[in-house]
Amino acid sequence: MDPDGALVEAAASGSREAFDELVRRHQSAIVTLVRALTGGRDDAEDLAQEVFVRAWRSLRGFRGDSAFRTWLHRVAINVVRTSHTRRTRLMRIFVPSGGMRDEDAPPPEAVDAEEPVDTALARRQIVERALATLPDDLRLAVTLRDLQGMDYKDIAAALGVPMGTVESRIFRARQRLKPLLAPLLTRSAGEDQR
Amino acid sequence: MDQNEPDRDQEAIAALLRETPAAPVSSNFLARVNERIDETAGWLGLTNFRAWTLGLVPAAAALVLLAILWPATTVTSSPATLTGAPQISSAQTFTPASYTDWQQDVTANALLEAALRSPARTDAR
Repeated sequence: MDPDGALVEAAASGSREAFDELVRRHQSAIVTLVRALTGGRDDAEDLAQEVFVRAWRSLRGFRGDSAFRTWLHRVAINVVRTSHTRRTRLMRIFVPSGGMRDEDAPPPEAVDAEEPVDTALARRQIVERALATLPDDLRLAVTLRDLQGMDYKDIAAALGVPMGTVESRIFRARQRLKPLLAPLLTRSAGEDQR
Repeated sequence: MDQNEPDRDQEAIAALLRETPAAPVSSNFLARVNERIDETAGWLGLTNFRAWTLGLVPAAAALVLLAILWPATTVTSSPATLTGAPQISSAQTFTPASYTDWQQDVTANALLEAALRSPARTDAR
């Protein structure tokens, strides 16, 4: 049963209080998701707000085929995709060929294993930069699974692909992330041994 | 090489990502969402046909009332227009000949004379 069911029903009938509660429940997850999908872009929070605005407008069309959380993630993915497409188009117009494009964002800087990366901010930035290097399909799958804690079935529903595809994408994404996150892994292993 | 190494790597990466601290959310996030909903409701309301149709009910009722009451005030001034009586076009203008056509007691000679005197009638034939 959907834990958000009653609130969703009330919000779909026009209750702003119920919708506010839904925003409070999911705002952190959606901001984290959008930041991960955009590589920690500055406008991530704006996009996350846009996700909830669109959710409010489309709530009457939500039939409850999936959990509200899964549906909200799908809305977020669409918002990020639309924004990415718009941004890429603008880049093509305003940045001359050979200039830096969105997908040519600098690779994550090599992190010195000795550099202090214990702060929450630093850890998150390293993860976001590493995720940004992945192709969209791999980034989406591993973000939904490992950062958002969604199960495979829900990810398959959110992305509209078979579960086997989801598993394969997550496996490949983690493989690619391993060298980029090595400094954090070393540190974690060191902490575990202590 | 340990055969389980890839699995361990997978688990280690998954654990690392799971433990990544959640992104901080600004304190006015909810307020900004509500502001944006209210902003868009203004101009987006124009595309909401349900609101449109309901909002137009009073105007539609006024138009219906007007349509019912209007003929009562105008029938006296121009009955031909409202009753749908055929209009007389310029091609059907009365000539002396056509006028006499309508006279019940006209004689055959008078009718012939009137017809011969009317150039319009001749042209028409």
